[in-house]
Amino acid sequence: MDANSKTMLKGDHDMLLAKVYDDDDGEIELGLGLSIGGCGGLRKSEEDLMPCCSSSSSSDSVKIPKSKIVGTKRRVVESVSPPNATSVVGWPPIRRGHRMPILANQIKSEQEELSKINNRHLSVKVNMEGTPIGRKVDLYAHTSYEMLAQTLENMFYGTHNALGSSRLLNGTSDFVLTYEDKDGDCMLVGDVPWQMFLGSVKRLRILRNTNMQH
Amino acid sequence: MTDSGSTDPTRIPSLPEVFLKRTFSLINSTSDRNSLSLVCKDWYNYERLTRRHVSIRNCYAVTPEIVAARFPAIRSVSLKGKPRFSDFNLVPEDWGADIQPWLSVFVTAYPLLEELRLKRMSVCDDSLEFLAMNFDAFKALSMLSCDGFSTIGLEAIATHCKNLTELDIQENGVADVGGDWLSFFPENLTSLEVLNFANLGNEVSFDVLESLVSRSKSLRVLKVNQKVSLDQLRKLLVLAPQLTELGTGTFSGDLVSSSVNELESAFSKCGNLQTLSGFWDPSLLYIPALYPVCGGLTFLNLSYSVLGADELEQILTHCKLLTRLWVLDTVGDKGLEAVGSHCPLLEELRVYPDDPLDQQSGVSESGLVAVSNGCPKLHYILYFCQRMTNAAIVAVAQNCPNFTHFRLCIMKPHEPDYLTNEPMDEAFGAIVKTCVNLQRLSVSGLLTDLAFEYIGKYAKNLETLSVAFAGNSDAGMEYVMRGCPKLKRLEIRDCPFGDSALLSGLSQCESMRSLWMSACNLTMNGCKKLAQEKAMLNVEVIKDEDGDDSLANKVYVYRTVAGPRKDAPPFVVTL
Repeated sequence: MDANSKTMLKGDHDMLLAKVYDDDDGEIELGLGLSIGGCGGLRKSEEDLMPCCSSSSSSDSVKIPKSKIVGTKRRVVESVSPPNATSVVGWPPIRRGHRMPILANQIKSEQEELSKINNRHLSVKVNMEGTPIGRKVDLYAHTSYEMLAQTLENMFYGTHNALGSSRLLNGTSDFVLTYEDKDGDCMLVGDVPWQMFLGSVKRLRILRNTNMQH
Repeated sequence: MTDSGSTDPTRIPSLPEVFLKRTFSLINSTSDRNSLSLVCKDWYNYERLTRRHVSIRNCYAVTPEIVAARFPAIRSVSLKGKPRFSDFNLVPEDWGADIQPWLSVFVTAYPLLEELRLKRMSVCDDSLEFLAMNFDAFKALSMLSCDGFSTIGLEAIATHCKNLTELDIQENGVADVGGDWLSFFPENLTSLEVLNFANLGNEVSFDVLESLVSRSKSLRVLKVNQKVSLDQLRKLLVLAPQLTELGTGTFSGDLVSSSVNELESAFSKCGNLQTLSGFWDPSLLYIPALYPVCGGLTFLNLSYSVLGADELEQILTHCKLLTRLWVLDTVGDKGLEAVGSHCPLLEELRVYPDDPLDQQSGVSESGLVAVSNGCPKLHYILYFCQRMTNAAIVAVAQNCPNFTHFRLCIMKPHEPDYLTNEPMDEAFGAIVKTCVNLQRLSVSGLLTDLAFEYIGKYAKNLETLSVAFAGNSDAGMEYVMRGCPKLKRLEIRDCPFGDSALLSGLSQCESMRSLWMSACNLTMNGCKKLAQEKAMLNVEVIKDEDGDDSLANKVYVYRTVAGPRKDAPPFVVTL
């Protein structure tokens, strides 16, 4: 727990990423095998972890929202965080600027969605349980839950849509469509009016039906 | 002439000074110029008086005063500052590489300075303002991986540089404080040729951008940021069909006032387009609008786009002339097979990881082999993967023996060949044995000293080597230090190399530009010894806050004629 509290002390959102691995594995991955002069995951955990979510205080660095998944009251839903991840400073060696723009966009859209709801786009990440690659969908390009479900079915099941319409929504498929709202709670898609949904949705998750507890 | 009329029959009569100077001023290649300057004293003088461009690859290897004294006629300067590992947060903030001391000398030495290209330098807004206001002939500013400035500095550049042709802001730590910096370009500025603000976060006024593009008839490179919509992009294309390079911004969303056809029509007028980048969140519906220009593309950068294999293949079927391709590993091995099938002229491939921590996703050895099978001209590879095999790399080396740059990053440290569980030594051995022109190598995976023995034995043209989490003992590094005569830059992290390895390359150190070692087994004593032996080296230790004082956790060694740094922060100790 030491490393945990250590990482949160700095109050730097980048440390949240460390939390992902702490909570998932119960301990920091120290599997590097080289305890040389201070290298290794634990010691470095107070510094920035991944180059793509690093911070230099002089820049408008990006805080990765992915880590918000862990540690909230969302045990009912499996997190998509991978196990056995390494947490080493500056590894893998990817320049910080490389992936920042997309994430910056996600953050900005939280702030701007209300005022720009008519002529902007709201891209949220969609993950399907069992599929490693996340996708993104522009919610403002849709006008209803039906339309969204169609898009998602096309995205994840391909063009030969054997599922029929909106089985994701009516609970008859093996999968169910959920979303993470502003508070980090996992909610069933379709319960609230569409516009209200747009105002609170942060990301979408398609989960196996057996996981949901109603 | 200083040596005219010699009667020695073995001496070649001197050519007239005017003739030599005129001839030399036509020579642009730096290596040619370096050769000329070694011929004799006169030629050294003529060369230095006529040199227009200087590239300083380590800003601490020389002082601005020394540069100005030797080369009085410089119009164009390239400067690189921080060690490369600063890109990965291994170098603390405020380490240095400030541009201001250089500008302060240039303002008197090179008042007619036209171009400044910076990489990994610290640039503050005041310096940008200083640059803009004091160099009347200034034309081109390019900054890659720099930090310390904000859009306020860009406002100054826009306001005062009356002859600006190039403003290229790439992947920097820029604070976008809002305000509309683009609107600071005066209405009468029509000289822009290159405008790249892809990296900036905030919206710029589209009216201003539109007007700027419209009046810049020589504009050939335009890279917009994510805030520019697809519809706005279409309008810009209509105004600038002469573009050779385009950064599309997000390429997402609904077209408001027009359709895919209109976008396609706009692209079809851009007959000179060779490079496409951007695509931060591409709407797949609009990708076909690109097809008219795909046939002429040589460089396609999709490294920000989450695309699948099929989507990539759809695009690549139209890109027969592609020589450079950057993608995310979401395309998977299947996507790379498509690369191998559709891009026979490919010379460079970079595959970046979308989610480095997700071990189930990404690409593996089969994707790389597929590309090597289909692209025999491949000579540059940057490949991030979760796992790899020796056999695959051996095959790749045989398919593509012309590698000049081989950068393989197996993302989990110490990962062996996942089929045989052996170290990855043979993989890199095959590369260095087969690819005799190899200039740059990045190794990864589980590696013993044997891998380094191979490198030292075979990689005779190697100039840059990056090593992480590898090797067993000092012998590994010693093989490299003794065996690679052309090595210029060596960067090592988290390896069990100690003082004796560091000191083994004493003869090598001065011919190398720089050496970085972090999280290895170096001690302060070892570093001090190196510093004592070699006066022309700066041996700098970056101190840890809470570290054993006798250990040297981060060491940066570089050759210099400038002596120890005068601007070193307290945590940098020069021995």
